[in-house]
Amino acid sequence: MKVSELTKKGEFKVFNESGDKEIKGVYISDMVSDIIGIGPGLLLITLQTHKNLIAAANLVDVAAVVFSRGKLPTDDVIALANKAGISLLGFEGDTWTLAKKLYEIGVR
Amino acid sequence: MTKIACKHKWVMTNIRSGYLVVEGCFHCGNKISFFSMEPAPPIDEYREGDHFWSHVGNFQASRFDLKCEKCSRAVPLHEVTAMMLCMRCNPECGVFKTGSEGRDRKTWVYVALCANTSHVAGKCVSGEGILVLNQYYNRGLQDPSKKIVVVPCELRKSVDTCQGIVLADVGLTDLY
Repeated sequence: MKVSELTKKGEFKVFNESGDKEIKGVYISDMVSDIIGIGPGLLLITLQTHKNLIAAANLVDVAAVVFSRGKLPTDDVIALANKAGISLLGFEGDTWTLAKKLYEIGVR
Repeated sequence: MTKIACKHKWVMTNIRSGYLVVEGCFHCGNKISFFSMEPAPPIDEYREGDHFWSHVGNFQASRFDLKCEKCSRAVPLHEVTAMMLCMRCNPECGVFKTGSEGRDRKTWVYVALCANTSHVAGKCVSGEGILVLNQYYNRGLQDPSKKIVVVPCELRKSVDTCQGIVLADVGLTDLY
């Protein structure tokens, strides 16, 4: 599934539309030191909204980042994500609810 | 018989969690960093020769080695304390210059940081370490025009004015 297909399902706030990558899987983590070891093409779910997170997400070439629990990225974070071609999405519910939602709509 | 060179497929191995600890010397102004696997990062001040080291900050971080899944060759990355994204803040900086060689819009330069930010001893991350980090982080990129370039931190002009983003954990204990 592409990121654009995911956003069309609704329920996601779209902070930017930058790159429309294929989602190859999902990874949940709030630790940059953990994220730097994941494979490319994953949808990253996190609570962290700082620039370090985007720098790590770019290094491992994530498909997109989803901030759960209604977290809002600042403008400089969105600007860095735009440069890196990383789509940033938001979800109001908690991470567990988001994980279930993604599974239900076919993201594996 | 001719030995066929392995087309390495690197994976992370020997992943260690700990703290990236930064200390500064008020006497000479140098900064050093090291990786601590102690349960709590050390914050003691101490004297070492002419240096008076005091704690500047610490961040949760991880260290790792790389190993080829196919041929089992392992490359230890003992010198690497963290990775840092270059923000292209100083055209005089060696990292900026290296990143500008053949650079296009989708080239991203990351710096492999070693423990000795002053590089007085003339040591930094090994050439082999830099090579495998480049191979590892360029594997399977979805956009064929995107390129990750990893360089050693000895190219950096100044640790004090550098605006690079260190890939270490911040904000984990912030209230929200």
